Amino acid sequence: MIDEKLVAALKARAASGDSGLLRSPEFRSLFGALKTLPNEQKAAYGQAVNQLRQELEVTLASSVDEAEALPAIDVTAPMDINSIAPKMLPSNTGSIHPLMAERDKILDIFYRMGFNASESREIDDDYHMFEALNFPDGHPARDDYDTFMTEQTAADGKRLIAPAHTSTMQNRMMQKYKTNLDKDEPIAVIVPDRVFRNEDLDARHEHTFYQLEGIYVDKGVHAGMLIATLKTFLQEYYGKELEVATQPYYFPFTEPSFEFSLSCPFCDKAGCSICGQAGWIELLGCGMIHPNVLHAAGIDPEVYTGFAWGCGIDRLVMMKNGIEDVRNFHSAKLDFLRQFA
Amino acid sequence: MKISVQKLRQFGGQGLDLPIADLVTRIGSQLGGVEAVEDVGAKYQGVVVAKIVKCQDHPNADRLHVCSVDDGGMTANVDRDADGNVQVVCGAPNVREGMLVAWLPPGATVPDSVAGDPFILEARELRGVVSNGMLASAKELAISDDHEGILEIDSTTAKPGDAFAEAYKLNDYLIDIENKMFTHRPDCFGQLGVAREASGIQQLAFHSPDWYVMNPVFPAIDGTELMFNVSNELPSEVPRFAAIAMSNILISPSPAWLQTELSRLGMRSINNIVDLTNYYMLLTGQPIHAYDYDKVKALSSGDTAQIVIRNPRESEKITLLNGKTIDPRQEAIMIATDQQLIGVAGVMGGAETEVDDKTTNIIIEVGTFDMYSIRRTSMAHGLFTDAVTRFNKGQSPLQNLAVMAKIVDDIQRLAQGRVASQVVDVSQVEGREWVHPPVPVTTDFINLRLGFQLSADEMKQLLENVEFKVQIDGMNMSITAPFWRTDVETREDVVEEIGRLYGFEHLPQILPMRSIAPVAKNQLFELKGQLRDVLSRAGANEILTYSFVHGDLFDKVGQDKSLAYKLSNALSPGLQYYRMSLTPSVLEKVQPNIKAGHDEFVLFELGKSHIQGEIDNTEEGVPKEANAVSVVYATKLPTKTAPYYQVRHYLDWVLRSFRVTDTIKLVSLQDAELYKNPWLEQMIAPFEPGRSAVLVDISESETAGMIWGVVGEYRPSVTKALKLPAATAGFEIDPLVLLKPSGSTPYKALSRFPSVTQDLTLRITSGASYQSLAAVVRNTLEKTVPSKALLTMEPTSIFQRPDDIEHKQVTFRISIASYERTLTDAEVSNFLAEAASAAHNSVGAETV
Repeated sequence: MIDEKLVAALKARAASGDSGLLRSPEFRSLFGALKTLPNEQKAAYGQAVNQLRQELEVTLASSVDEAEALPAIDVTAPMDINSIAPKMLPSNTGSIHPLMAERDKILDIFYRMGFNASESREIDDDYHMFEALNFPDGHPARDDYDTFMTEQTAADGKRLIAPAHTSTMQNRMMQKYKTNLDKDEPIAVIVPDRVFRNEDLDARHEHTFYQLEGIYVDKGVHAGMLIATLKTFLQEYYGKELEVATQPYYFPFTEPSFEFSLSCPFCDKAGCSICGQAGWIELLGCGMIHPNVLHAAGIDPEVYTGFAWGCGIDRLVMMKNGIEDVRNFHSAKLDFLRQFA
Repeated sequence: MKISVQKLRQFGGQGLDLPIADLVTRIGSQLGGVEAVEDVGAKYQGVVVAKIVKCQDHPNADRLHVCSVDDGGMTANVDRDADGNVQVVCGAPNVREGMLVAWLPPGATVPDSVAGDPFILEARELRGVVSNGMLASAKELAISDDHEGILEIDSTTAKPGDAFAEAYKLNDYLIDIENKMFTHRPDCFGQLGVAREASGIQQLAFHSPDWYVMNPVFPAIDGTELMFNVSNELPSEVPRFAAIAMSNILISPSPAWLQTELSRLGMRSINNIVDLTNYYMLLTGQPIHAYDYDKVKALSSGDTAQIVIRNPRESEKITLLNGKTIDPRQEAIMIATDQQLIGVAGVMGGAETEVDDKTTNIIIEVGTFDMYSIRRTSMAHGLFTDAVTRFNKGQSPLQNLAVMAKIVDDIQRLAQGRVASQVVDVSQVEGREWVHPPVPVTTDFINLRLGFQLSADEMKQLLENVEFKVQIDGMNMSITAPFWRTDVETREDVVEEIGRLYGFEHLPQILPMRSIAPVAKNQLFELKGQLRDVLSRAGANEILTYSFVHGDLFDKVGQDKSLAYKLSNALSPGLQYYRMSLTPSVLEKVQPNIKAGHDEFVLFELGKSHIQGEIDNTEEGVPKEANAVSVVYATKLPTKTAPYYQVRHYLDWVLRSFRVTDTIKLVSLQDAELYKNPWLEQMIAPFEPGRSAVLVDISESETAGMIWGVVGEYRPSVTKALKLPAATAGFEIDPLVLLKPSGSTPYKALSRFPSVTQDLTLRITSGASYQSLAAVVRNTLEKTVPSKALLTMEPTSIFQRPDDIEHKQVTFRISIASYERTLTDAEVSNFLAEAASAAHNSVGAETV
């Protein structure tokens, strides 16, 4: 379909390391020819051209690698020949990412409160994202989670999912710490980790962010304990007395469910730019773990009850530091990061 | 979900007469998040009903009229004639003497413009005649789209001088409650349902109107009988399909009250029939559809209208009310005649059977459709209608007939319709009382989950307020949810109900009690935290980059794209693949930082990578996630040192900090055996083989021989493609290697005796490795120096004479201190000489 002589010439030029090859009129003429083809041939031709382009790129790269390779070095040596011993950069330029630093503070508080902790996953299955959390297939509540999915499928034949919440770990954590219950110890776990939502990026919305999941299961756990636990954590985190309020909410995996607000720790309810003059900050969703969710983890909901919550970490950090744009977090800009040195 | 406070009060009676701010607070804390409150009446400040007492042609304009209007003298600060009337110029074609109109006096704002760019009226000349404000159309009054002429007000509705908002019942507030709260509450997608809740949360008893809860009665056929059949081929997805025919319909614009009711709740007025179907949907949450009977009949075979509920046949298409033609998904529930499709059930009607101005006979459909199927059809075709919003919450199949009887009654009165058939009720459900059987529950069960101490009687009262039925037998209760509550099925649902109605603000805030047994910290978090400390103390900056990368990035660094998990719904090509290692992501961030003026830096990221086909070692069978840390050093400053050594220094620092130096050996990448490990193959892809090394495990554990990562410089094509400065190098390792300390503590006791320090310089061939020389020197010294001594050995330089590039000279600085006595220089020289001799024998080193 493509002129073989031309292909051979292009390949030869790639092998010789002609860096302008892909921008050359000869190569571009291949695209021009597309228009002249009958429709039914266009797709196959386009594919062939793309494949050729990739081949040429690989050849070009390896010819660049060959032509410009520096001599091999002694990788076991601690320093270069005729050179001084390398030094590290000064300590004060180093920094830990503010999200990770804050996560460590949160971890510390919950460790002290007797919680275990776990990482989450970055790729997961439908079962942990939805099924195990009482979202049956086709449930309208699934619409509220704009999940990324892969073209590849899991063992169950469903697409793999980039978790849209850390609740994907609820089932796993309950299973893992289930033996606590036999010892009259609670299941108390937090999962502060990365989640993904198919959401356009702007100053307030990220498709990649961090969430703090928490679960607590034991005999006699009631909704008041949920409120008290969150309030205690937040007071410790902000280092001051706070008021909290709840609104009824709906999540398939908790019943009852709440939206949880706290009095603005930055203005003490006077109204400021951080709380949007409201005096209150809507912070997280929470509730009593649905019996179906306990059941799915092999815990008897007749005997045990529990609560769970999910809270955005990015927002906590933004509010605390007055960070204006959520996009800074994943920008890897040193101008941003070194302010947290 | 927008709620009209006026409607709430109509349904809920005096109990809902509390101030609006209090009502909003209660709804917020006990029903669901309030997104906005709109004062509808505020738009109509100053708008008054007036009578046109005189209407004359404008002297200077053909289409304009000069009117004198009588507002009963209600408006202040306006010029009046001797009779007390006000002059207004009007261009509407329908303006005439004697008409009752809405007058917007100077100072009033056009209601329609309030939300956008407010237009405030004044007294001004129109072609030489002063007009005091204007006479308004229904559109300008924001009550419908009608802009043909000015609104004519029915004299039974109002009289001159009445406030317009009062006359049209527009003194209302709209409370917008988050839809998400009602995901499981089909009843709350009707004003009636929210009114009931608003009463219940104030502990007031609510009584649904009789027409909704009593058994409906339908009038007998009146005049012509219109025949139609319904056959339901999808009984499991369509539990109920009720329909009735009506004749003698007079299609007309809706009366003003109906138009305003709809417009206030955000719906467009179309005609009396369509408006009524929408109105009762807004009240009850039950979508209703009206078909033109004659059109249905014409599309059926024979002379009877045929309605068939079925899936679409292959390549069947339908044109919808919105004008779009779709090829419905195979599993969609469709309404058809026996010959062709006429509607997408529960989603949108078809254009061919639309009720229009000429319609005289109709079929009213009140159906119930499977919520999951409706949702999937809606998603598949991007059809998001008010009916879908309601059906996909799971409407009760027990309200159909009540709603139908009510709308039939209204159609008789407002469109002169006559009942023309029996009710055709194709139903899979029985009874009228409940959807889910009574839930048995104890007071303990409820109190335990809420921390309350409510008695059975108190619980009974709370539930009866919202029309549940409760039977008490000691601590045992039997709870029957009313028929519209399709969501109350389990005891936990009752817990939610009681907690909410009582008020969650009463929850006792008590911390859980637990034993003081210490909990184990998470090893990975601990490890990664320490690693962050170690690297940041060494001046490195931690970055976070996305888990998803551009396919081109793989090409640029030589990774095999076909092994990466690919998103099917990526936001952009830049975020299409799961990354297979971290280094490419970190390298991408080098050039922007150089450009931003940073000359020299070290970036690092801790993260995870994924490769297709690599499955986790658990029964879950989910993809394996590999932990990784990637560190990249870059400088654009001139340097004599190959960047490899710079980053190698960081690697040594990390390994030393975690005490794993003794268990790791660096082996040149070009000599390393990689064992066809896909992770490793992708990880090393960007690295230049002659100037990189892999970390080989030389411990005596089960991981011996394993490769934990790579350190080195990048291939020239990578440097070029990512615009890296020439002096860029990095390493990527699995941080789990750091959990394998060699065991020995690095501390050595100090000696009381002075140490002797001497340099040993040895010349070897340029090709010989430093490591081989250092090893023999160190081993020899450790053997010859008495065990009761402190030995340190540091390389100080590697030198090459310009006139002898065949060789290099390595200088070690060696310090020895005995714990027992002061050593002499001669003794130490002897130790060094022995080391030199051993080095000569094993690697041909010459002493310099």
